[in-house]
Amino acid sequence: MKKVCENWENLFPADHVGLSIFEEFQNRASAASAEVIRVKTPSDALAAIKNLIESIQAKKIVAVNCPLQQSANLYDEFQRMGLTLYTDNAQIAEHAESADIGISGVEFGIAETGSVCQDAYSIESRLVSTLPPIHIAVLNSNNILPGIKEAFDVISQVFQHGYISFITGPSRTADIERVLTIGVHGPSRLIIIAIDQATAGGAA
Amino acid sequence: MDENNRNIRQEIDQKLNDDVLRGALGRFAEAYPISRAKAYENVESIEELRDWVQQMKAATVERIEEIADQFVHEATRRGANVFRAANGEELKEYLLKLCKEKEVKRIVKSKSMASEEIHLNQALESAGLHVKETDLGEWIIALAGQRPSHMVMPAIHLNREQVAGYFSKELGQTIEPDIPFMVQVARQNLRQEFLQADMGISGANFGIAENGAIGLVTNEGNGRLATTLPRIHVAIIGYEKLIPTIKDAVPILRSLPRSATAQLMTSYMTMICGPTPAMVKKDDKWVEEEKELHIILLDNGRLKAAKDEKFKQIYQCVRCASCLNVCPVYTLVGGHVYGHIYAGGIGAILTAFLHSMGDFEKINELCIGCRKCTTVCPGRIDIPGLIEELRAQAVKEHGLPFAVRAMFDNVIANRKVFHTLLRLASICQKPLQSGRFIRHLPLFFAGLTKDRSLPAVADTPLRDQIKRITRNIPQPVKRIAFFSGCSTDFVFPETGEAVYKVLQNLNMEVIFPEDQSCCGKPMLGMGEREASKKVAKQNIQAFEAVNADIILSACPTCAETWQGTFVEILSDEPEWKARAEKLASKVREFTSFVAEEYEKAGRLTASTISGSKVTYHDSCHMKRGLQIYEQPRELLKATPGIDFVEMKDCDKCCGMAGAFGVKYAALSRPILKQKITNIKDTGAEVVAVACPACMMQLRGGLDKQLPTVKVKHVAEILAEQLNE
Repeated sequence: MKKVCENWENLFPADHVGLSIFEEFQNRASAASAEVIRVKTPSDALAAIKNLIESIQAKKIVAVNCPLQQSANLYDEFQRMGLTLYTDNAQIAEHAESADIGISGVEFGIAETGSVCQDAYSIESRLVSTLPPIHIAVLNSNNILPGIKEAFDVISQVFQHGYISFITGPSRTADIERVLTIGVHGPSRLIIIAIDQATAGGAA
Repeated sequence: MDENNRNIRQEIDQKLNDDVLRGALGRFAEAYPISRAKAYENVESIEELRDWVQQMKAATVERIEEIADQFVHEATRRGANVFRAANGEELKEYLLKLCKEKEVKRIVKSKSMASEEIHLNQALESAGLHVKETDLGEWIIALAGQRPSHMVMPAIHLNREQVAGYFSKELGQTIEPDIPFMVQVARQNLRQEFLQADMGISGANFGIAENGAIGLVTNEGNGRLATTLPRIHVAIIGYEKLIPTIKDAVPILRSLPRSATAQLMTSYMTMICGPTPAMVKKDDKWVEEEKELHIILLDNGRLKAAKDEKFKQIYQCVRCASCLNVCPVYTLVGGHVYGHIYAGGIGAILTAFLHSMGDFEKINELCIGCRKCTTVCPGRIDIPGLIEELRAQAVKEHGLPFAVRAMFDNVIANRKVFHTLLRLASICQKPLQSGRFIRHLPLFFAGLTKDRSLPAVADTPLRDQIKRITRNIPQPVKRIAFFSGCSTDFVFPETGEAVYKVLQNLNMEVIFPEDQSCCGKPMLGMGEREASKKVAKQNIQAFEAVNADIILSACPTCAETWQGTFVEILSDEPEWKARAEKLASKVREFTSFVAEEYEKAGRLTASTISGSKVTYHDSCHMKRGLQIYEQPRELLKATPGIDFVEMKDCDKCCGMAGAFGVKYAALSRPILKQKITNIKDTGAEVVAVACPACMMQLRGGLDKQLPTVKVKHVAEILAEQLNE
């Protein structure tokens, strides 16, 4: 799977302490109508995602591979649950439009704005995060940067080719009478699963 | 649409009578400043951020060709096809050829103002291509067959019922005017367009020379879809959007969403560097291919502007439209009267460069010069200053209408004739006069006195009262030369008398140089430079002759003209420029000068003696030109018997704005009405002002609409105190 950078965490400054600003990130993300679920371990993440799937009775899921999901054994569990899961690019291209949920990892969060940064070079990472009505973004809770400036200090080290997105809450419009309406062309729900004890070196 | 035969006044009247538009813009104008301020709460210093945008963009335009070369090189090196289009025609030709070669039939567009600027959709459609705007607002506008009325919220002038009507017509079924439902209808319809499209066309909010990337800021997600799903992506970007480095995107991304939509960040911020993968169906099988990326750099007047010493400022625009959101005229009439897709003050300037000077000349008077926009623009563009400059260029090229020019040349530039006429007016107006006002005018002048009385020219001008009001000060602490300005001299001589009283009470000698004339600002405001130079020189001579310590004016516009404009308009005559500079350093505005002197004398402490409620209206030129707003308040608060109260939007223009209030009476009226409502809400008995033009407008409005409230110059309030 194509990525702008294979290991984003290596680019963070030496004195990086993301967990200490997680709360600010969470508040700003919630203010932008993202749903933030903070969990301790990968297996807690799995439980949270299972809950979600059951609550909306999802049947069809498109997901891109990422280490955090692997460590949570998501895919085995999905199969046990009897869900249809698509993970390779051709399958995702065919099914993303009709899937109930798209799952991808994101590299880091930005406390200033409540955004998550997605390395979206691969086409499948974009399809799963744009076409289904729900996007679940899996994040390492320690990977929070203070602001846009710090985010660009990181991005500018590696952005030689590819596609990078900041995602801040769900798709929205206020084009009719300035009434805020959620879910135009993109997902109507952005659910950020933030894992505190993500495996070492495992970028989301 | 026939752009050449426009009747702007009639269009303005239509907009003023459009209740949907007025309601929407009115609510928006109320809400915007509050939500903007909230969005900037977690920015340490807005002013420093604005400096950052300004400096970064200003430095970029200095070497725009070099930056553009680098951008093209870096994008090309990564596999993008970059085309530099000199104008809309070249762009369309390139694109149509590309569509033909690549067998493109269906196109989805995410928002691109540049494409609207050159009417791209019409060209594509007439070549038989299926083109869909996918930004909800742009789609609505396309269905309605209209132009956007706002750069960020294109359909702000329409309500849900109107939108439902356009949807119903397009889809051939009745669509209920329920906003969430209509948004879902748009999602479903446009989703099919995305999935079937061969080509996605996007704009760009910035283009990075360092790596050839483009950046897109969107909320709906259509930008991501248009650049992800179709096999070809075409990005159209104007030269002014280029920035040198990746990190230079930071000041734009910190200010654009906050200023445009009061968001800390839009839902999606997308950066694309070189071609990226696309999924293409071949023989019923999905295969991953490299997407074809075309970047079109559009000039269309931009490079010419980059070389202009003054107009290169337009490169500092990030297209947030905050200048529209605070504009007293835009928020009344909306964007359509501006004629093209770029509305408001910045729109007028862009129109001059991207369309034609002729288009600009039709709309340039819609800027009232209140400078509110200069307090919010993230790039610190001097929009009113540039408009004035464009007016001057237009006048230089085409001249003013003969009668106006003749009046400037032969009347105002000739003090004796001008003053004789003003004296005559005081006699001729008698049949229409009632007290100090002209309350009704006959025939086609009637509009001028609707909701507002006009001031009558005083019986005895200030210059004829100087002997009576001058006191002999044996050992003066300062020698002050008073520049009255036309309104104080001929309409409000009592203000002049009050100024004398206050200064003489401070043990200062006051003199009135007889040869002083109009400061020239009314002519400059219309772009007339030559006659303005003449009066500038007359005034300089008159004040050099009296050799005072201070040149004082109780009119902020006159003070500003003396302090800066004289030097500027005389800059090509070194000897005169030096003389203007020498005097400029002596010029002081009344309230700030007196506050300083009162403070020295220990007279500026807040008074504890309660009394009548007084509010203060900030003149545009005083607050945003001279940056004086605390001193008049301090003076009022120090006055015994005054309970000072602030009014809402105290620094919003009263609608007079020089000749604007007379020429565009229909527009000036609702602006004045808002002001009067805000005055009324304070319960004040007196509105204090420090500007004769505002005094004229407010007195006229209050006389008709709220006659119990008095308007007084701060000088008069201070002088009354001395009587007691």
